[in-house]
Formats: sequence, C-alpha cells, structure tokens
Amino acid sequence: MNWADLNLMPALPEIFLLAALSFILVLDLFIPDEKRDVTYGLSLLTLAACAALQLATFEPFATTTFSGMFVDDPMADIIKVAMYGVTAAVLVYTRQYVADRGMFRGEYYTLSLFALLGMNVMVSSSHFLTLYIGLELLSLALYALIALRRDSAAGTEAAMKYFVLGALASGMLLYGMSMVYGATGSLAISEIAAAIASGHSNAVLLVFGLVFLVAGLAFKLGAVPFHMWVPDVYQGSPTAVTLMLGAAPKLAAFVFIIRILVQGMGELSGDWQGMLVLIAALSMMIGNVAAIAQTNIKRMLAYSTISHMGFLLLGLLAANEQGYASAMFYAMVYVLTTLAGFGVLLALSHAGFECEKLEDLKGLNQRNSWYAFLMLLVMFSMAGIPPLAGFYAKFAVIKSVVDLGAVNMGFGMVSALYLAVFAVMMSLVGAFYYLRVVKNMYFDDKQSDAPIVVRGEMKVLLSVNALALLVLGVLPQGLIELCIEAMRQSLAVL
Amino acid sequence: MLQNYFPILLFVIVGLMVGVGPIVLGKLVSPNRPDPEKLSPYECGFEAFEDTRMRFDVRYYLVAILFILFDLEIAFLFPWAVVLKEIGMFGFGAMLVFLAILTIGFIYEWKKGALEWE
Amino acid sequence: MEFIQGLLGEQAGLVVWTLLKIVAIVAPMMLAVAYLTLAERKVIGYMQLRIGPNRVGPYGLLQPIADGVKLLLKEIILPAKSNKALFIIGPILSIAPALAAWAVVPFTDTLVLANIDASLLYIMAVTSMGVYGVIIAGWAANSKYSFLGAMRSAAQIVSYEIAMGFALVTVLMVSGSLNLVEIVNQQGRGMGGGSILSWNLIPLFPMFIVYLIAGVAETNRAPFDVAEGESEIVAGFHVEYSGMAFAVFFLAEYANMILIAALTSLMFLGGWLSPFPASWGLLGASGFIWLALKISLVLFCFLWFRATFPRYRYDQIMRLGWKVFIPVTLVWVVVVGAWMMSPLSLWQ
Repeated sequence: MNWADLNLMPALPEIFLLAALSFILVLDLFIPDEKRDVTYGLSLLTLAACAALQLATFEPFATTTFSGMFVDDPMADIIKVAMYGVTAAVLVYTRQYVADRGMFRGEYYTLSLFALLGMNVMVSSSHFLTLYIGLELLSLALYALIALRRDSAAGTEAAMKYFVLGALASGMLLYGMSMVYGATGSLAISEIAAAIASGHSNAVLLVFGLVFLVAGLAFKLGAVPFHMWVPDVYQGSPTAVTLMLGAAPKLAAFVFIIRILVQGMGELSGDWQGMLVLIAALSMMIGNVAAIAQTNIKRMLAYSTISHMGFLLLGLLAANEQGYASAMFYAMVYVLTTLAGFGVLLALSHAGFECEKLEDLKGLNQRNSWYAFLMLLVMFSMAGIPPLAGFYAKFAVIKSVVDLGAVNMGFGMVSALYLAVFAVMMSLVGAFYYLRVVKNMYFDDKQSDAPIVVRGEMKVLLSVNALALLVLGVLPQGLIELCIEAMRQSLAVL
Repeated sequence: MLQNYFPILLFVIVGLMVGVGPIVLGKLVSPNRPDPEKLSPYECGFEAFEDTRMRFDVRYYLVAILFILFDLEIAFLFPWAVVLKEIGMFGFGAMLVFLAILTIGFIYEWKKGALEWE
Repeated sequence: MEFIQGLLGEQAGLVVWTLLKIVAIVAPMMLAVAYLTLAERKVIGYMQLRIGPNRVGPYGLLQPIADGVKLLLKEIILPAKSNKALFIIGPILSIAPALAAWAVVPFTDTLVLANIDASLLYIMAVTSMGVYGVIIAGWAANSKYSFLGAMRSAAQIVSYEIAMGFALVTVLMVSGSLNLVEIVNQQGRGMGGGSILSWNLIPLFPMFIVYLIAGVAETNRAPFDVAEGESEIVAGFHVEYSGMAFAVFFLAEYANMILIAALTSLMFLGGWLSPFPASWGLLGASGFIWLALKISLVLFCFLWFRATFPRYRYDQIMRLGWKVFIPVTLVWVVVVGAWMMSPLSLWQ
C-alpha cells in the first residue's frame, strides 16, 4: 500500500465532513456562550459545502475506495444530498427550541454532525464492517443527543431505553452478519452476493443469518414486532432530537436495507419477501390502530412512523427496481413530511412550554392561520390525500405490489391484491387520526393566546418545506424518475 | 514455538504459590485470638458510622473510561510501532491521521474539565 | 537437564527442570526484595544523617530476616465485615503478576527463561493485572480508608500506565521488535559499537524520564504515595491487613520496583551491554554484572527520590499524569516517527 494506490475522491465529502466537524468541535471549546451562533453557522456552512462536494464529485456510476469497503453510487449520492438538506433543516428548525432549553451548546451541533457522518458511512458502505461502524457512529451520537438534557428524567429514560434496545438490535445484526460470513466466507457485499449466486454456501446457515439480519433491520427501522422503543423514545426525547432521529436516519436505514437485503442477498429474495410481508402488514396495522388512542402528538407521530415504515417495506418486498424506487421515493416524502410536521410543533413550542398534546393544537387556525395551513398540508400528506406528495408515494408502493401479482409467503404464493387492499384499508384507518388533528386546528376554540414567535429563516424554510409537499404531489415525476434512474445505476454494478 | 510459553504458565503458578504460601504459613503459625473490637473496621478509634460501600466521586469513573480509550489506542499503536520501518511513510501518515483525531478528543476532554481534580 | 529427564521421564523431567530454573530466579528475587528493604532504610538513614538499623546481626544485615519472622508470627486479622475470600485473594493477585513478569525478562542475551517474541506485550499484560489486587483488597476490607485508598491507587496506576505505554511505543518503534532480547541487542548496534552512546537513553531521553517517573508512580512509591499517605488515609488500601497478608503486599511492592528497574535498564540503559565500546577488552564486555549494576542504580534513584521529595498532592499527581506526561509522550511518538522517516534516522 502506498499513496498512489489511494484514491480518496469517492469519500471526499465524508473526509471533509470529518475535518470540518473536528474543527468545529475544537473551535467551539474556545468560544463563549453568547457567541454560540458561530458554531451554528459553521455547521450549516459545513452541510452546504458537503452537499456541494457531493454534487461536484457526482459520477453516474459506482466508484469504490478503501479497498472496496466504501462505495459511492448514484443512490448514495442522492440520499446523501437529501440528508445534508434534512440535517440543515433540522438545525434551523431547532435553533430557537434548543436555545430555550439550555441545549444550545456545541455538543448539540457536533453530535448532529457525527450522526450525519455515521449515516453517510452507512449509506456508502459496501462491506458489512463499514455498515456496522456507520450504524454505531449514528447510534452512539443519537443516544448522547437524546440524553443531552441531563436533568430531564424523560430524556434520560428515553436515552437509556434507546441505548439498551439499540444495543440489542446491533447484537442481532452482528449475529446475522457473522452467520452470513460463516456461510459465504466474506463480509464484502458483492462477494456475498457472488457466493450466494454460486450456490456453494450453506443454505441453512444463510437463512438463519438472514432472519437475524431482518430482525435487526426491523429493529432499527422501528417496524412491528420490533417497534416497542419508538413511541417511548419519540415522546421522551426533546422534540428537537425526536426530529433528528425521525428524519434523516430513516433515509439511511432505507439504504441500509437495500445494501444488505438487495445488493447482498438479492438471490434470497424468496426468503425475505415473506418476512417483509408480515412485518409490513403488522406495522401498518399496529401503527395506525395504536395511533388513534394517543393523546400525545409526539407519541401519535411515533405510531404513524411505524405505519409509514410498513408502507416503505411494501415497496421493498416487491423485490424489483420499480419497487425499490417507489420505496426510495416514499422514504424521501416521508422525511420531508415529518420534517414539516415536527417543524410546526417546534414553532409552537416556546420557553417553558412544549407543544406535544393534541389539545395544544386546538384553534390553531384562530391563532395563526398560516401555520395551521402548513400543518394541514402535513396531515393530508401523511394521510395520503391527493394532491399531496404522500398520496403519490403511497400510490407508487401499492402499485408496485399490485404489479407483482403474487408474493411468496414462504408457505406458498398469495395474491398481492390482498396485501394491497389491506394497505389501502390501513391508510383509511390512519386518515382518522390525521384528520382529527385538522379538526382540532380548524373547528375547536383556541386554548391559549401565546404569540407564536418564529425566527425568520425558520419561517421561510418551514413554508418552503410544507409547500414542497404540495408541489411534489402535483409534479412527482421528476423525483420518481431520479429514484428509478439511481436505482438502475446503483443496482446494475453489484 | 508454543512450548516457549510453557515456562510462563509454570511461572504464573509459582507466582501464585509465592502469594498463597506465606499466607497459609502465617495462618498456621500465628496466633488467632479474635475479638469484636479487633475485627471492626479501623476508623481512628471511632465507631464506624456509615456503610463503606458508599457513593464515590464520579471522576474515578471518568478516569477509568479515559484510561480504556487511551489504553486501547496504545494497544493499536503496538503492532504499528513494531513494523514502522517496513511500512514507511504511508504507515506513518496513516497513524498521524489517527493520532490527530485522538488529539482532538484529548483537547476536548481537557477543555471540558474532565482532567480537573480540585 | 538430560540427567533429570533420564530420572523422571521426558515430560516430568521438563517440568521439574523448568521449575528448578524458576526457583533459581524467584529465590534470589525474594532475597533481593528482602535486602532492598534493608537498603532502603540504610540509604535513607544515611541521607538523613542517621545510621539506620544496626542491631540485628553485623551492620543490621539480619534485619530483614527478623522482620520476616516477626510478621510471620503476627495474627492475620480477617475483619468481621470483610468479604473473606476476596480479602485473601487481594494480596495474592498483587504479588503473582509482579513475579510472573520475570518469566520473560532476559538476564543476558542467552540467559532467559522464555524467549518469546511478544515478551514486552506479555509484560504489559501481566503488570496491568496488578491493579486488580489493589482494587480487590480495598473493596474486600470494607473499611473507608481501604476503599478510598484503593480508588486513589487504581486511578493513579491506570493514569500513569498510559504514559508508560506511550514510552514503550517509542522503544518499539526504534527497535522494531517486541522481544526484549532483540530490544537490547538493537541498542548494541549503532554509534560507538554498543557503548553508552548507542543506548536508547540518549535519543529517547524524554521518554526515559517519563518512564522512570511513571514507574515510580506506578509502584505507588514516594513522592507519589498518596494512596497510602499516612497523614490522610493511614495505609490506604492495605490498612486492614496484618501479619503475612500484609507482608505479601509489601513483597509485591518491592518486587514491582525491581521489575520496573529491570525494564528501565533493558529498554533504555542497554541491559547487559557495557557502557564502554566493545573494543575496550574486559571493560567493554557485556555481561549480567552490568545489568545488575544498572538495576541497582535505578533502584538507588527510587530510594533517593523517597528521601528527597515531599509528597505530591493527589490533584498534582493526576495533573502531572494527564496534562504533562500524556501530551509530551504523544508528541514524542510523532517526533520519533518523523525522525525515523527522515534521512537523519539512527535506526536504518
């Protein structure tokens, strides 16, 4: 090994992110509390520069570095640019919130960037080891972020729960990885795929490993039956951090699944399809039904997340390019919607007041009709009401399932139509609690007269974000074609 | 190769014996006249007024964590140091990157006061 | 060896022969430990214009034996509230590593019990075990002084272990081996053909100082002996120990001192190499006598420190360890690396 063999270009944005992150970490130690805005500004600047680097080094095909452990393909590029944007939006939305709650410290920003770095590594890894390292970097940063308010009992409790269950999930993933390693003799995703295709690997061991992998992935995604942590952690974390862990990590988790199940174990799709059908159906059912009973809006959104993950898995279980692309589109739209939804909640919270009960939204229209309208867009999009983006996303995944004709459930083929009908029914159930929020905002009397004070940059970004849901709903074609193209290019190589 | 390690095993056992031997011998030869005062924990003549298994300063915990970090890093440096002459500039540069990241962590903990004992 | 094997069969003969060799190391070690205690009292006595022990035997030479017999006849108290088993395990875990490390210490380039390639790694691993003895003893005694003393001791030992580890890394870098025999032989090459000029002492001088001081702190010796500072927490972690149980701790402390002195001599002072060029005939010849002299010299420094320096405060100890030694060693690792990469390297 020498310098000439080392082409670090594919990892340039990550290297820059790490360098900038280290710089911010050290610089932050030397700036006094009242100038903390420097850290905030530099973090945003870093994200912008990363996005620019990502686009500048864009190649329409996959390139690898670090001895093939790190891959930079169009799918990773698109997801990463989206993650930079999402993280930047999160930082902007939470600026006032963290300042009001004594969390406006350098650690908040550096940990967020560390989490982003972890996600980037996850998204770009073509080796189980890098996948795992990225995942742990993300998880460790998130644990610390959740517990950032050390004196908040709910926050530390949530962090503890997340930590213990996250460690369990990591253990399962590792166990699955080690079994796959035992069966195929490699940890590199492309070599695993080749070994499985050659048919010489131990099939029993492989499927055993696959079960553990799927369980670990479902854990990380928060899909039923591994969803128990989601509501507690969403509710217990400070809203700013809830947004952090509800948004970009879902994109990373999506790519994580693609890397492991599709690129690594695509040959075994017959085996994992059945598992995903079960997980998806249960997630949609339990998520949507349990959400109805919630009075805490963060908890409600947590259950809604579970159901959305079910829909996301619908696209994946189709096990074809169209399905993956629709799942990718779904993930993007979901993140955009969540971002706007929590953004409104953050806007309504102020020092000493957390907007987290359903009643807190009552009469929002009377207090400020613009935020009520933004929240309306979010709720309609989540419920999948045309012409919002959520509708098209749901439509795309359900269509990919219908096109499948029949799915392999392990015990036999079942018509995909049943699954599609079930998904539609579940989204109708979901519409109930989304519309209840709208009813609260528009048809109930306001309960407080507290003025809604929002920083300028957040007001603009939040409006753009929510309106984007409308625009994407009307004109989804550009994004979905991008997703299809990215999937085609990325899956072609490995 | 492996038989080189056999004397080490024997030596560890002898080492343990050197610890056990005198204590057993002492037990055998020395008198044994217990009384409650003699067997109570020594606190400068006072009655013990609190359990010993008490809370203690969290900084010891911090020291333990920092020790693990740095000790692991030394364990990582060992193989590198042994082959440094063979791996040359590339190996040296790679380790510099690692040490730089570590130094940033060290600066952070220093400035955050993790190393203070007032 | 063949004789014993003929007597007992091949396997058993090997075991007995090895055991004999081990005894040949441990017995003089124990004697050295005993007389080190006497030397300590004598040296410090003379430094303070006293004569030290002089009643038992000529010049007090039988003093260590009298001490041993006295400790043997004293009652071993097992405090009522202690965890009995752990209380006994503590001293054993403390002395076993201090002795076991000698398995790989070479006395000349051929005279070594186990010449393994990872000898330095083994020593690092084994000596790190010593801290368990301290922690277990302090915890098991169930006394506040023991407990606080154990916490302080353990924190101090682990803190200085890092600086020590970094110092070792620089030695490894220049020697390119983990084998102690190889590390000494490497010091015999280079400037002056094996004289004092080619020892690691000179190019790695800052590391030598760090290693020596960290060694003093590691063995809880004055001026870093707050863990057993009698003015604050009486005898620290072994306050509840008496009789032979205490004696074992005592032996462990001095055995550790000798071990650190031996390692310092091997890694920085050229081990059994003569300080004079090999061409000077008898003076330039290497041999065990040089190693013994060097060990004695380092041990004398240990005693000298104790007689000279007042005790450090605990916060000063931790500051020295974390804020001075670690940064200095970290930088020096990089400096030595850069030096080796440069054309000026002494270690081609």
